[in-house]
Amino acid sequence: MRKNQTILALIGLATVVTVVPLMAHHAFGAEFDRDAPIRLQGPVVRLEWVNPHAWIHLEITKEDGTNEVWMVEGGTPNTLLRRGLRRDCLTPGTEIIVDGYQTKDHSLTRANGRDVTFTDGTKIFLGSSGTGAPYEAEMLATRQQQGRC
Amino acid sequence: MSNFIFKLVRTLRRTTFSVLACTAVAAVSADAQTAEIPRTQDGKPDMNGIWQALGNAHWDIEPHAARAALQMQAGPVVPVPAKPVLAFGAVGSVPSGVGVVVGGEIPYLPEARAKKIENQENWSERDPGIKCYLPGVPRATYMPFPFQIFQSSSHFFIAYEYAGALRNIYMEDPGPAQVDSWMGQSVGHWEGDTFVAEGSGFNDQTWFDRAGNHHSASMTVVERYTMTSPHHILYEATIEDPETFSRPWMIRMPLYRHVNEDARLGQFKCVEFVEELMYGQLRKNPIGSEERR
Amino acid sequence: MNMRHTTLISAVLLMIASSGFSSHVKAQVRAQVDGQWVMPRTADGRPDLQGNWTNATTTPIQRRRDQDAVYTPEEAARIEGGRAARTEALNQPSDPDRVAPPVGGDGSVGAAGGVGGYNYFWLDPGDRVAMFNGELRASLIIDPADGRYPSRTDASRQRMAEASQFRRQFGQYDNPENRPLAERCIVSFGSNAGPPMLPNYFYNNNYTIVQTPDHIMIMTEMVHDTRIIRMGTPKPLPEHVKPWFGDSWGHWEGDTLVVETTNFSPTQLNRGQLSGATDNLKITERFTRADEYTLNYEFTVDDPETWTDTWSGEVPFTRLPGLVYEYACHEGNYALFNVLSGARAQERREGGRQTPER
Repeated sequence: MRKNQTILALIGLATVVTVVPLMAHHAFGAEFDRDAPIRLQGPVVRLEWVNPHAWIHLEITKEDGTNEVWMVEGGTPNTLLRRGLRRDCLTPGTEIIVDGYQTKDHSLTRANGRDVTFTDGTKIFLGSSGTGAPYEAEMLATRQQQGRC
Repeated sequence: MSNFIFKLVRTLRRTTFSVLACTAVAAVSADAQTAEIPRTQDGKPDMNGIWQALGNAHWDIEPHAARAALQMQAGPVVPVPAKPVLAFGAVGSVPSGVGVVVGGEIPYLPEARAKKIENQENWSERDPGIKCYLPGVPRATYMPFPFQIFQSSSHFFIAYEYAGALRNIYMEDPGPAQVDSWMGQSVGHWEGDTFVAEGSGFNDQTWFDRAGNHHSASMTVVERYTMTSPHHILYEATIEDPETFSRPWMIRMPLYRHVNEDARLGQFKCVEFVEELMYGQLRKNPIGSEERR
Repeated sequence: MNMRHTTLISAVLLMIASSGFSSHVKAQVRAQVDGQWVMPRTADGRPDLQGNWTNATTTPIQRRRDQDAVYTPEEAARIEGGRAARTEALNQPSDPDRVAPPVGGDGSVGAAGGVGGYNYFWLDPGDRVAMFNGELRASLIIDPADGRYPSRTDASRQRMAEASQFRRQFGQYDNPENRPLAERCIVSFGSNAGPPMLPNYFYNNNYTIVQTPDHIMIMTEMVHDTRIIRMGTPKPLPEHVKPWFGDSWGHWEGDTLVVETTNFSPTQLNRGQLSGATDNLKITERFTRADEYTLNYEFTVDDPETWTDTWSGEVPFTRLPGLVYEYACHEGNYALFNVLSGARAQERREGGRQTPER
């Protein structure tokens, strides 16, 4: 984690950075509570592949042993579809780890999917630089061998 | 000599009259054929323009008598309009219709017919149209709003005024739909002078009308658009959904061209119109609440 | 700073930059040097503008003050390489034993709003510097010459101040109408449908154009908005009819489609780049097919009561290799519900005091 943060900082310094847009479909700070961080781990229950945000539903086991379903917010599925990724890339039953923040309405078991990975830490999907860089083809091939997209 | 000329002229007049009469008859015959249908430069019937269905399929596609409201409740003597629709009075009453389903009734499986009735009884909570959700296919075709066809040699695109719904009917099959959607994924081709659009990849959220008629995500729709005159398209849609219906079934209706010179598609971005309905209770001071200053 | 990391990053950047840049330029040159490209035409002899296009790019709308109008090849390579390197870095695995992020936020800025948004793989912000007529552009605005919005008139500042004052009587979460139009799923964030049609630097910067002899239809992926442009002599709409995206009329000047738009909706004139504009706003757009993969899009914004000068831009639209998908926004809009219910929940937690501005 720290290694990745360092890399990000270096890249920020080293490149000519384009204007960071402040707009988005909505500001996450309006929806999620900075004072309510969460870490969830459990099997995927359902994928809602909708706009403006996809939602990944997963089932967690609480400390008291009961189960609870949370939904975590992702981005637009259209981006993934255009990369050839299908919804069934992430099948129900697959265990994932999510860290993020709960909605400001704490009565909802909803959070932002700040970082969503498999249990080995690899991202559930890959971003694409669009440059066709060799490392990308290699990463995709490895993932396909693992039954991932 | 003058007698001969007189007879000649008379013969000519009769001949001319006959020729003209024949031409007129021929012209009337041609009216009934497809020869006069406007065609694009690649020879296809030219369906470009603004079209709209008439009738009341959008209320209920099955044959139905007029009724007081879309949602009813038990009354002391007869059923009466339910509370959510009472204030509409006759504006909210349902006109009668002979229906557009070929053969009369939708061939529901028994559980699906029961669900339709349940949908109807709970109309104000269930009709996706109330929330300005995209209408799906074929409901988009016969909403009481116009739509515009953009037809070129490479594209067949329909823009619906209602909710800004749209369909790009692909002229090349991109393969199975990667995800379910409200308006589905449609692939088109020509069969002679009929444009055929095969739709799939629909979600299970849309209805066929305001009467609770529904379907599953397995539904496929094959539409046929046939111009029967410069100003009419015969529209047929065959619905197949083995999870909901016992067999495929078809709807059929004419579509009418907007012929006024300044015809244009309006904007009906109804998302704004339903915010009080959907989010009113989440206002800081909901209208009519005790907290209202 | 770890020297090993610095060396590694420099090596990655150099490798990606050199491979990415040369293939980009090569592709453009190939399209022209082969000399065989012929303008595709519709049956009525007009340039065929149809198909799926994207205007996604790294090039910002406005130029940085210390920046020339055109990037050097090295600058462009650094930008594109940097984007590629960032993508690679963000594709790396995370720590599976990571704990929840910190209370009080994770320090992320902008749209991520202190809660870290979501993973980068959801984004598709554009990987290429905008190349327009062979130039690597540092801004989409090309006039004024500094590549920045021109000055505003005092009157337009006044209108913006009044609009701001109106908004200030509400808390930003009080009503759905106080939320941004994009959050309400009424139009896209940014100016995707425009006009002018600008990228949003996030995702789904995609369009479908369909062309008939008397209409051009431009569909924007977000939020499934159609602009219907009628060809011919404009018949102006009545003044009080002001649709979203205005009323557009087009004509051909040689092989360039020229579109003139007026009658903008007042809500559109109260938002983004067009804030404070008046009913006299007129936007002219020009579409020219430059090659197999490129549609040159130029626009000029004209409202002398709002800006001291017209302003113009040039944006390359490139072929979208893929489909434009349905973006049914309102139908799946949990976010607006979450924002409003969250504000009410926070108010209840804080004993009914005004929600703090965050």
